Amino acid sequence: MVVTDNGKAGPGESGLYNRIAVLRAERGVSRQDLADAVGVNYQTIGFLERGDYGPSVKLAFAIGEFFKLPIEAIFSTHPFRPLSEQVYGNRE
Amino acid sequence: VRAELILMGRRVDMARQARRRGLVVGIYILLVLLIAALWYFTHWREGFYWVVWAVIGACRLFLGGYYRGGLVKPFDNNPPRALQTRSPFLPLGLRVYVSALEDDREWRSDERELRQRDRAHYLAYQTIGMAVALQLLVALVRMKEPLVQAWMAMPPDQLYYGFAVIVLTLLLTLPQAILLWTEPDMAAD
Repeated sequence: MVVTDNGKAGPGESGLYNRIAVLRAERGVSRQDLADAVGVNYQTIGFLERGDYGPSVKLAFAIGEFFKLPIEAIFSTHPFRPLSEQVYGNRE
Repeated sequence: VRAELILMGRRVDMARQARRRGLVVGIYILLVLLIAALWYFTHWREGFYWVVWAVIGACRLFLGGYYRGGLVKPFDNNPPRALQTRSPFLPLGLRVYVSALEDDREWRSDERELRQRDRAHYLAYQTIGMAVALQLLVALVRMKEPLVQAWMAMPPDQLYYGFAVIVLTLLLTLPQAILLWTEPDMAAD
Protein backbone atom coordinates (compact mmCIF):
# COMPACT_ATOMS: atom_id res chain seq x y z
CA MET A 1 0.00 0.00 0.00
CA VAL A 2 1.21 3.49 -0.81
CA VAL A 3 -0.58 6.22 1.04
CA THR A 4 -0.23 9.44 -0.86
CA ASP A 5 -0.56 12.89 0.63
CA ASN A 6 -4.03 13.30 -0.77
CA GLY A 7 -4.99 10.05 0.92
CA LYS A 8 -6.47 8.52 -2.22
CA ALA A 9 -4.67 5.19 -2.05
CA GLY A 10 -6.68 2.35 -0.56
CA PRO A 11 -5.65 -0.02 2.20
CA GLY A 12 -5.37 -3.05 -0.09
CA GLU A 13 -7.19 -6.34 0.33
CA SER A 14 -6.55 -6.52 4.06
CA GLY A 15 -8.35 -3.28 4.85
CA LEU A 16 -5.39 -2.19 6.95
CA TYR A 17 -3.23 0.87 6.39
CA ASN A 18 0.36 0.60 7.50
CA ARG A 19 3.62 2.51 7.71
CA ILE A 20 6.03 -0.37 7.22
CA ALA A 21 7.50 0.97 3.97
CA VAL A 22 8.00 4.44 5.48
CA LEU A 23 9.64 3.02 8.61
CA ARG A 24 11.88 0.74 6.57
CA ALA A 25 13.00 3.59 4.36
CA GLU A 26 13.55 5.85 7.34
CA ARG A 27 15.75 3.28 9.08
CA GLY A 28 17.44 1.88 5.99
CA VAL A 29 16.11 -1.64 6.55
CA SER A 30 15.62 -3.95 3.58
CA ARG A 31 12.61 -6.23 3.21
CA GLN A 32 14.89 -9.21 3.67
CA ASP A 33 16.29 -7.80 6.95
CA LEU A 34 12.83 -7.17 8.32
CA ALA A 35 11.62 -10.57 7.11
CA ASP A 36 14.55 -12.31 8.82
CA ALA A 37 13.93 -10.39 12.04
CA VAL A 38 10.24 -11.26 12.27
CA GLY A 39 10.52 -14.76 10.79
CA VAL A 40 8.61 -14.51 7.53
CA ASN A 41 9.39 -14.65 3.84
CA TYR A 42 10.51 -11.34 2.27
CA GLN A 43 7.56 -11.55 -0.11
CA THR A 44 5.25 -11.40 2.87
CA ILE A 45 6.72 -8.02 3.82
CA GLY A 46 5.81 -6.79 0.33
CA PHE A 47 2.25 -8.07 0.79
CA LEU A 48 2.05 -6.33 4.17
CA GLU A 49 3.33 -3.04 2.77
CA ARG A 50 0.81 -3.07 -0.04
CA GLY A 51 -1.93 -3.90 2.43
CA ASP A 52 -2.71 -7.10 0.56
CA TYR A 53 -2.20 -9.19 3.67
CA GLY A 54 -3.42 -8.54 7.20
CA PRO A 55 -0.87 -9.86 9.71
CA SER A 56 -1.65 -12.07 12.69
CA VAL A 57 -1.48 -10.41 16.09
CA LYS A 58 1.79 -12.24 16.71
CA LEU A 59 3.37 -10.92 13.51
CA ALA A 60 2.05 -7.40 14.15
CA PHE A 61 3.64 -7.47 17.61
CA ALA A 62 6.90 -8.77 16.15
CA ILE A 63 6.97 -5.89 13.65
CA GLY A 64 6.15 -3.43 16.43
CA GLU A 65 8.99 -4.80 18.54
CA PHE A 66 11.37 -4.61 15.61
CA PHE A 67 10.64 -0.93 15.01
CA LYS A 68 10.25 -0.30 18.77
CA LEU A 69 6.86 1.25 18.19
CA PRO A 70 3.35 0.40 19.37
CA ILE A 71 1.23 -1.52 16.88
CA GLU A 72 -1.17 1.39 16.38
CA ALA A 73 1.74 3.50 15.15
CA ILE A 74 2.34 0.97 12.35
CA PHE A 75 -1.11 -0.41 11.50
CA SER A 76 -4.43 1.36 11.35
CA THR A 77 -7.88 0.82 9.93
CA HIS A 78 -7.97 4.51 8.99
CA PRO A 79 -5.58 6.32 6.65
CA PHE A 80 -2.52 7.71 8.39
CA ARG A 81 -1.93 11.42 8.31
CA PRO A 82 1.33 12.17 6.52
CA LEU A 83 4.23 12.22 8.99
CA SER A 84 5.18 15.76 7.96
CA GLU A 85 1.69 16.94 8.81
CA GLN A 86 1.74 15.13 12.14
CA VAL A 87 5.11 16.59 13.09
CA TYR A 88 4.73 20.14 11.79
CA GLY A 89 0.96 20.43 11.63
CA ASN A 90 -1.13 21.78 8.80
CA ARG A 91 0.21 25.28 8.05
CA GLU A 92 -2.56 26.35 5.70
CA VAL B 1 6.75 -20.23 -3.34
CA ARG B 2 10.44 -20.24 -4.11
CA ALA B 3 11.97 -17.66 -6.42
CA GLU B 4 14.23 -20.09 -8.22
CA LEU B 5 14.15 -23.59 -9.55
CA ILE B 6 17.21 -25.78 -9.19
CA LEU B 7 17.36 -28.13 -12.10
CA MET B 8 20.28 -30.22 -13.27
CA GLY B 9 22.44 -28.26 -10.83
CA ARG B 10 21.52 -24.95 -12.43
CA ARG B 11 19.57 -22.17 -10.81
CA VAL B 12 16.68 -21.01 -12.94
CA ASP B 13 15.21 -17.66 -11.95
CA MET B 14 11.46 -17.98 -11.52
CA ALA B 15 10.84 -14.74 -9.65
CA ARG B 16 8.71 -13.36 -12.46
CA GLN B 17 5.06 -14.33 -12.48
CA ALA B 18 5.04 -14.61 -16.28
CA ARG B 19 7.72 -17.29 -16.15
CA ARG B 20 5.87 -19.28 -13.54
CA ARG B 21 2.66 -19.03 -15.53
CA GLY B 22 4.54 -20.18 -18.63
CA LEU B 23 5.82 -23.17 -16.70
CA VAL B 24 2.33 -24.07 -15.50
CA VAL B 25 0.88 -23.78 -19.01
CA GLY B 26 3.77 -25.84 -20.44
CA ILE B 27 3.32 -28.61 -17.87
CA TYR B 28 -0.42 -28.85 -18.45
CA ILE B 29 0.02 -28.86 -22.24
CA LEU B 30 2.51 -31.74 -21.93
CA LEU B 31 0.21 -33.64 -19.55
CA VAL B 32 -2.79 -33.19 -21.84
CA LEU B 33 -0.74 -34.37 -24.83
CA LEU B 34 0.47 -37.37 -22.84
CA ILE B 35 -3.05 -38.25 -21.69
CA ALA B 36 -4.40 -37.91 -25.24
CA ALA B 37 -1.55 -39.94 -26.74
CA LEU B 38 -1.88 -42.72 -24.16
CA TRP B 39 -5.61 -42.90 -24.66
CA TYR B 40 -5.16 -43.03 -28.44
CA PHE B 41 -2.50 -45.74 -28.36
CA THR B 42 -3.39 -47.86 -25.33
CA HIS B 43 -6.99 -46.94 -24.42
CA TRP B 44 -5.89 -46.94 -20.76
CA ARG B 45 -4.83 -50.56 -20.78
CA GLU B 46 -1.29 -49.67 -19.67
CA GLY B 47 -1.23 -45.91 -20.02
CA PHE B 48 -2.74 -44.96 -16.67
CA TYR B 49 0.50 -45.59 -14.79
CA TRP B 50 2.54 -43.49 -17.19
CA VAL B 51 0.33 -40.51 -16.45
CA VAL B 52 0.76 -41.05 -12.71
CA TRP B 53 4.51 -41.19 -13.09
CA ALA B 54 4.51 -38.09 -15.29
CA VAL B 55 2.47 -36.18 -12.71
CA ILE B 56 4.77 -37.29 -9.88
CA GLY B 57 7.78 -36.22 -11.96
CA ALA B 58 6.24 -32.82 -12.70
CA CYS B 59 5.57 -32.27 -8.98
CA ARG B 60 9.00 -33.43 -7.95
CA LEU B 61 10.98 -31.42 -10.48
CA PHE B 62 8.90 -28.32 -11.20
CA LEU B 63 5.75 -27.77 -9.19
CA GLY B 64 6.76 -29.00 -5.73
CA GLY B 65 4.27 -29.25 -2.89
CA TYR B 66 4.99 -32.82 -1.87
CA TYR B 67 8.73 -33.12 -2.15
CA ARG B 68 11.71 -30.96 -1.57
CA GLY B 69 12.15 -30.30 -5.28
CA GLY B 70 10.07 -27.81 -7.23
CA LEU B 71 8.88 -24.28 -6.65
CA VAL B 72 6.17 -24.71 -4.05
CA LYS B 73 7.31 -25.45 -0.52
CA PRO B 74 6.11 -28.78 0.92
CA PHE B 75 2.46 -28.57 1.93
CA ASP B 76 3.05 -30.47 5.18
CA ASN B 77 5.28 -27.56 6.29
CA ASN B 78 7.99 -29.83 7.65
CA PRO B 79 11.67 -29.67 6.74
CA PRO B 80 13.05 -32.92 5.33
CA ARG B 81 14.67 -35.34 7.71
CA ALA B 82 18.44 -35.61 7.64
CA LEU B 83 18.23 -39.02 5.98
CA GLN B 84 16.28 -37.52 3.11
CA THR B 85 18.81 -34.84 2.32
CA ARG B 86 20.80 -37.15 0.05
CA SER B 87 19.17 -37.74 -3.27
CA PRO B 88 19.65 -40.84 -5.40
CA PHE B 89 19.93 -38.46 -8.34
CA LEU B 90 23.11 -36.89 -7.00
CA PRO B 91 25.41 -39.75 -8.01
CA LEU B 92 24.01 -39.45 -11.51
CA GLY B 93 25.17 -35.87 -11.64
CA LEU B 94 21.69 -34.47 -12.07
CA ARG B 95 21.94 -32.50 -8.81
CA VAL B 96 18.27 -31.76 -8.65
CA TYR B 97 17.88 -31.20 -4.91
CA VAL B 98 20.80 -29.11 -3.83
CA SER B 99 18.83 -26.05 -2.81
CA ALA B 100 19.65 -24.39 0.50
CA LEU B 101 19.16 -27.35 2.79
CA GLU B 102 20.85 -25.49 5.60
CA ASP B 103 18.00 -23.02 5.97
CA ASP B 104 14.89 -24.30 7.69
CA ARG B 105 12.83 -21.46 6.23
CA GLU B 106 13.48 -22.89 2.79
CA TRP B 107 11.02 -25.60 3.78
CA ARG B 108 8.68 -23.91 6.20
CA SER B 109 5.91 -21.62 5.03
CA ASP B 110 5.10 -18.46 6.95
CA GLU B 111 1.57 -17.50 7.99
CA ARG B 112 0.73 -15.81 4.67
CA GLU B 113 2.00 -18.77 2.66
CA LEU B 114 0.00 -21.17 4.82
CA ARG B 115 -3.12 -19.11 4.21
CA GLN B 116 -2.42 -19.12 0.46
CA ARG B 117 -1.82 -22.87 0.57
CA ASP B 118 -5.18 -23.45 2.21
CA ARG B 119 -6.95 -21.13 -0.23
CA ALA B 120 -5.31 -22.83 -3.23
CA HIS B 121 -6.47 -26.22 -1.97
CA TYR B 122 -9.97 -24.90 -1.47
CA LEU B 123 -10.09 -23.58 -5.04
CA ALA B 124 -8.52 -26.77 -6.41
CA TYR B 125 -10.95 -29.04 -4.61
CA GLN B 126 -13.87 -26.94 -5.81
CA THR B 127 -12.65 -27.47 -9.39
CA ILE B 128 -12.14 -31.17 -8.81
CA GLY B 129 -15.60 -31.41 -7.30
CA MET B 130 -17.02 -29.88 -10.45
CA ALA B 131 -15.03 -32.36 -12.57
CA VAL B 132 -16.51 -35.24 -10.58
CA ALA B 133 -20.01 -33.76 -10.93
CA LEU B 134 -19.43 -33.48 -14.68
CA GLN B 135 -18.37 -37.12 -14.73
CA LEU B 136 -21.60 -38.17 -13.05
CA LEU B 137 -23.61 -35.97 -15.42
CA VAL B 138 -21.94 -37.50 -18.48
CA ALA B 139 -22.55 -40.99 -17.12
CA LEU B 140 -26.21 -40.15 -16.48
CA VAL B 141 -26.75 -38.63 -19.93
CA ARG B 142 -24.96 -41.55 -21.49
CA MET B 143 -27.26 -44.03 -19.79
CA LYS B 144 -30.44 -42.18 -20.74
CA GLU B 145 -29.75 -40.97 -24.28
CA PRO B 146 -29.10 -43.54 -27.01
CA LEU B 147 -28.00 -40.75 -29.36
CA VAL B 148 -25.22 -39.73 -26.98
CA GLN B 149 -24.29 -43.38 -26.55
CA ALA B 150 -23.69 -43.67 -30.26
CA TRP B 151 -21.78 -40.40 -30.37
CA MET B 152 -19.53 -41.36 -27.49
CA ALA B 153 -18.69 -44.78 -28.78
CA MET B 154 -16.36 -45.56 -25.92
CA PRO B 155 -16.58 -48.44 -23.44
CA PRO B 156 -17.61 -47.30 -19.96
CA ASP B 157 -14.36 -48.48 -18.38
CA GLN B 158 -12.36 -46.23 -20.71
CA LEU B 159 -14.61 -43.31 -19.93
CA TYR B 160 -14.23 -43.79 -16.19
CA TYR B 161 -10.50 -44.38 -16.46
CA GLY B 162 -10.21 -41.15 -18.43
CA PHE B 163 -12.06 -39.17 -15.81
CA ALA B 164 -10.07 -40.85 -13.06
CA VAL B 165 -6.84 -39.80 -14.75
CA ILE B 166 -8.03 -36.22 -15.11
CA VAL B 167 -9.22 -36.03 -11.49
CA LEU B 168 -5.98 -37.55 -10.19
CA THR B 169 -3.89 -35.18 -12.30
CA LEU B 170 -5.82 -32.17 -11.00
CA LEU B 171 -5.71 -33.45 -7.44
CA LEU B 172 -1.92 -33.71 -7.47
CA THR B 173 -1.07 -30.59 -9.47
CA LEU B 174 -3.80 -27.98 -9.27
CA PRO B 175 -3.03 -26.52 -5.80
CA GLN B 176 0.59 -25.88 -6.80
CA ALA B 177 -0.50 -24.52 -10.18
CA ILE B 178 -2.88 -22.06 -8.49
CA LEU B 179 -0.11 -20.91 -6.13
CA LEU B 180 2.40 -20.43 -8.95
CA TRP B 181 -0.20 -18.67 -11.09
CA THR B 182 -1.35 -16.21 -8.44
CA GLU B 183 1.90 -15.31 -6.67
CA PRO B 184 2.99 -11.91 -8.04
CA ASP B 185 6.49 -10.96 -9.19
CA MET B 186 9.01 -11.41 -6.43
CA ALA B 187 11.47 -8.64 -5.67
CA ALA B 188 13.83 -8.61 -2.69
CA ASP B 189 13.41 -4.86 -2.19
